[in-house]
Amino acid sequence: MELSEDDVLHILKLIDESKFDYFQLEVGELKITVSKGEPFPLASSPRSAAVSPPAAVEPPKPSPAAPPPAQQSAAARADARAAAEGLLPIVAPLLGTFYVAPEPGAPPFVQLGAAITEDTTVGLIEVMKVFNSVRSSVKGTVVEVVAQNGQFVEFGETLFLVKP
Amino acid sequence: MKVTRVLVANRGEIAVRIIRACQSLGIETVAAVSAADRESLAAKMANRVVCIGPPRSSDSYLKTGTLVAAAHGMGCDALHPGYGFLSERAELAQACVDNKITFIGPSADNITHMGDKLAARKIAAGCGVPTVPGSDHARNPREAEAQADKIGYPVLLKASAGGGGRGIKLVLNAAEMQTTFSTAAAEARAAFGNDTLYMERYVGNARHVEVQVLGDGYGNVIHLGERDCSLQRRHQKIVEEAPAYAVSQDVRAKICNAAAALARSIGYQNAGTVEFIFDNDTNEFYFLEMNTRIQVEHPVTEMITGVDLVAQQLRIARGEPLPFKQADIRFSGHAIECRVNAESPQHGFRPCPGRIARWQTPEGAGIRVDSHCYSGYFVPPFYDSLLAKLIVHGEDRSQATTRTKQALASFQVSGIDTGIPFLQTVIDDADYLNGKVNTRWLEKKLENYTAYHTA
Repeated sequence: MELSEDDVLHILKLIDESKFDYFQLEVGELKITVSKGEPFPLASSPRSAAVSPPAAVEPPKPSPAAPPPAQQSAAARADARAAAEGLLPIVAPLLGTFYVAPEPGAPPFVQLGAAITEDTTVGLIEVMKVFNSVRSSVKGTVVEVVAQNGQFVEFGETLFLVKP
Repeated sequence: MKVTRVLVANRGEIAVRIIRACQSLGIETVAAVSAADRESLAAKMANRVVCIGPPRSSDSYLKTGTLVAAAHGMGCDALHPGYGFLSERAELAQACVDNKITFIGPSADNITHMGDKLAARKIAAGCGVPTVPGSDHARNPREAEAQADKIGYPVLLKASAGGGGRGIKLVLNAAEMQTTFSTAAAEARAAFGNDTLYMERYVGNARHVEVQVLGDGYGNVIHLGERDCSLQRRHQKIVEEAPAYAVSQDVRAKICNAAAALARSIGYQNAGTVEFIFDNDTNEFYFLEMNTRIQVEHPVTEMITGVDLVAQQLRIARGEPLPFKQADIRFSGHAIECRVNAESPQHGFRPCPGRIARWQTPEGAGIRVDSHCYSGYFVPPFYDSLLAKLIVHGEDRSQATTRTKQALASFQVSGIDTGIPFLQTVIDDADYLNGKVNTRWLEKKLENYTAYHTA
């Protein structure tokens, strides 16, 4: 596929007028990456590494599509809030897919405002079809649910904020 | 087989090396790092980073499921295992296949075939590659004794699931067999979960010669010459060279062809190394084992052939045929690699992690340094102690050793101790310069060094 300069400008215009923040096109050797606002992070801290949540049911297919930048800063923003307001984070004890409920459709383990203790199970993290429960390890009230259901989380990523 | 975004499932200098190769091919990288490696050079260089677990490698770099999940979660379509860690576990290669991730390495079958060292011996013998006179599976001390009588003492008792210098015991005579056999079996069971033992005659005056091979998915298998890795300490290589200067051209050609024949016979794909021992006294060579991964010392081969082996791994994995034939491979000059470890030669070579205050690597004609270190980098205590590989190329061995000497002298590291002072005495040793070494030479050199420097 050959692209002229006019084609590229046309693509840029279409994206500019759309509501998409990020666009990546790959056709064979050709690759176009366009993003609005914040530049797409290249060399990055682990915090900015989170990627769009994979589908919850099926094992996700590797997708070359890049993550929407919006979610990347959620954990970082939560960490900043925790520091500013003296909140305690509950972090992912391992890498995997995070679930807020024991099964699809069931009520979440904990909700905003829930009082929890160190032993409260707050979610599940799945790695290769093995589910591991996530314990709170802190005591207090849940003031923010940071991680989304079905989201891929890395080791140490903030899942909840708790007011002690 | 797409390879557009690679999960780098390793750390240290090889993670950096893989990222560089990916960059040269326009492939994106995601560094899988433990919590201790968040600030590593690989993490800084990769397009993205994902933290896979706590510092201990058993909780991070050794977790197959976590790595595959990380590859999925980060949208990677390929995974490079590097060396060590899970690189030679068929389980990881298979898990990648099952999850539609391209494993940058050989097939799970290739790994399984060569991972069982006793089975590998049989495959080698089956395609006419000489193996060390030895035994089949020795089930008990009595059987072992009977077999050893035929082989002739001393013999090596080897764990079939071992390899890479692990799970090997020397038995000097029949009186030792009973106890050594029991210990070796127990250790093999504990370390590898498999206590199958076999024996090989012990070659006392040997050199370690290994051959680099490359195979693609279309049945093309070639060799890229051999390396001499005789300078070892506790079975860990310290100095490696290419070509194997002390072996005649004729024997080297035979060794290389044997390696390629073996790899071809199992339909080997990607980069691998076939290891041999060469008997200095008889000029015979014997198959030892095959390593189904990229090796630490691959750069010496790159320096004399001009082939980027890691880039070739990526190309093969994405389904390209080898771009060259055997006859296209040309060898030029001599290359030497010195492994610079975080250790204190003045204190019995104890490991020396900590913060590097100053890190200045040598530069100049023919000098290459593969490393993940920089000034201010904290060397974590959780992993192996390799800091850098100094690789030096010269027109011939004499120029290469001279340049290595100069390069070691201008390699400036402060804040932690390194093995550089010891390496300097090795490169300066008359026996070494004259090539009068065998696989036990460095141990002796080390004993003398330690005795002299800690007295």
